Amino acid sequence: MLGSAAAFTLTGAVLLLRATANDGTSTLDMLRATLFVATTFWLVLGGLNGVIGALSPSPPKVLGKAPPRGMTAILVPVYNEDPRTTFSRIAAMQRSLDALGVSHRFHFAVLSDTRSEVAAAEEVVWFARLVEELPETSRVFYRRRAENTGRKAGNIEDFVQKSGGAYDYALILDADSLMDGATIAEMARRMDADPQLGLLQTVPQVIGGESIFGRGMAFASSYYGPAFSRGVSALQGMEGPYWGHNAIIRMQAFAQSCGLPALSGDPPFGGHILSHDYVEAALLARAGWKVRLAVDLDGSYEEGPENLVDYAKRDRRWCQGNLQHARLLRAPRLRLWSRFIFLQGIMAYLASPLWLLLLIAGVAGTAMPDRGWSNPSSVDGWILAGAVATWLILPKLVVLVRNALSGVNRNFGGTLRVSVSVLAEIMLSTALAPILLCFQSRAVLQILLGLDGGWPATDRTSSRLSLEEAFAASWWMMAAASLAVAIVVALAPATLPWLMPVAVPAVLAPVLISLSSRRSRSLRLFAAPVELSVPDIIRDQRRLLAKWSSVSIGPDSGAVAPRLGGSAHA
Amino acid sequence: MMHEGELISGWSLPDAPLAMPRQVLERPRRRRMFSALRSVLSLARPRI
Repeated sequence: MLGSAAAFTLTGAVLLLRATANDGTSTLDMLRATLFVATTFWLVLGGLNGVIGALSPSPPKVLGKAPPRGMTAILVPVYNEDPRTTFSRIAAMQRSLDALGVSHRFHFAVLSDTRSEVAAAEEVVWFARLVEELPETSRVFYRRRAENTGRKAGNIEDFVQKSGGAYDYALILDADSLMDGATIAEMARRMDADPQLGLLQTVPQVIGGESIFGRGMAFASSYYGPAFSRGVSALQGMEGPYWGHNAIIRMQAFAQSCGLPALSGDPPFGGHILSHDYVEAALLARAGWKVRLAVDLDGSYEEGPENLVDYAKRDRRWCQGNLQHARLLRAPRLRLWSRFIFLQGIMAYLASPLWLLLLIAGVAGTAMPDRGWSNPSSVDGWILAGAVATWLILPKLVVLVRNALSGVNRNFGGTLRVSVSVLAEIMLSTALAPILLCFQSRAVLQILLGLDGGWPATDRTSSRLSLEEAFAASWWMMAAASLAVAIVVALAPATLPWLMPVAVPAVLAPVLISLSSRRSRSLRLFAAPVELSVPDIIRDQRRLLAKWSSVSIGPDSGAVAPRLGGSAHA
Repeated sequence: MMHEGELISGWSLPDAPLAMPRQVLERPRRRRMFSALRSVLSLARPRI
């Protein structure tokens, strides 16, 4: 896969040099070819990953029945979240485990890093409500840290250091994670069955989207996600990914291998490791443990942002975390593959400003005709651009054909409906990609300038953005794109067609962001199987949340259950 | 390992510490040439 991506990219670079170097190879030509290689390789690799995954057979899902032998702590780190919603998920998962008769092998632990005292007080009250809701045989714990040292990684580390010895495994969740009991039990059984398995990651499906943006993301996750995951699994093998949640770890392996140091220097590149999951996967692999992706297991869910601005905020955090991995590329004794994954993560963000630079280099070449691209509308150039764009769309179309032939499309409402959804998703992602490119480019620039983005809590409730709110978040890219168009019209009008696919969405960013944050009118478009046939775990959680939503409960109600004791503040 | 019935739900997590040694992720920094040169020069500087 790596060789094919490299071969395609180098062929493209040679074609680009041929198209631009009619009058000899200039420094600008070389720069442009280098930028092309640096950006296109990763894009082609991603596309190939999707195509190979789509063409790979789906492994059969085989679930055991016996209760797992090992004890598992199900860890739910929370950080200024809505406790009612988070705890309703815990209740649903506990019930699902109860129904299977395996809940005695699982304990839940809510690990709060919530900073706001008001939010923390609500957590305490809703935790009491949660305990009341569950059978007395359930084991659910709550603790809040006085200081949130090391953020989420530090939160989990604190649990491992104080209580890890009581458990064989830990299932790491996010506050918005929801997992079916059968899936949780099967993960523990697989850990029992393979003593060398250090971490087993599931492929979480995004659910709960109501806006056009959110539903588009949820559809992409459930429709293309399995194929891309099979590709990742085939590529990474036993040194697979860890995405930080909806994954089970072997407690001893994690404790021995994953104590993360603070990096020397100040943030954004020094200090606590932000994207700890990639590093923990690399450290487990370094210590000889298997890290695997369970592509056959469904019943693993998470929620996603409902609009592009929230997505960009989360992306800013991930961007800083991934760029920080530049410090770890030379870390001692890491597997070569782990270093490659760090580099891939870095390039996932660095590619955005490099694409912009490639565009600028094209404009500069035309503005300097004696050195640059003599004919930017040449057939070679358009063929090259088309070939690159194909790698973005091809995997999605291959998934569509495969799912039509295998009958998977029936779960999504039939091939006709899916085809409309795929087309709409491609249009939506094409329109929003340049806006994301601008957000990512700004994030990279901020980080390289040494600005620490901190760790803002994820807003899981806001959805619709007004035009004013969207404008406030994106006016700068609108202004930059308008200025770029004006410069190109003045200096190199022939390159305008190359600029338009990026400039038009950037100029229209406030409108596109606001429109895509609207509640989707049609539930047929972007329909996912979990909507057409709602799984029990989701139905149960929603029913419970609806019941709790009608309950008036607050920190002053004094409704702390009698079964609780001790201090809530560890 | 944990046995059934050991704990009740509540605020207190099980008391079962597990060591989590810090991993080495950074190689010792090489001293830059200028820093090394400055150190040598500072040693050689005549004391007033």
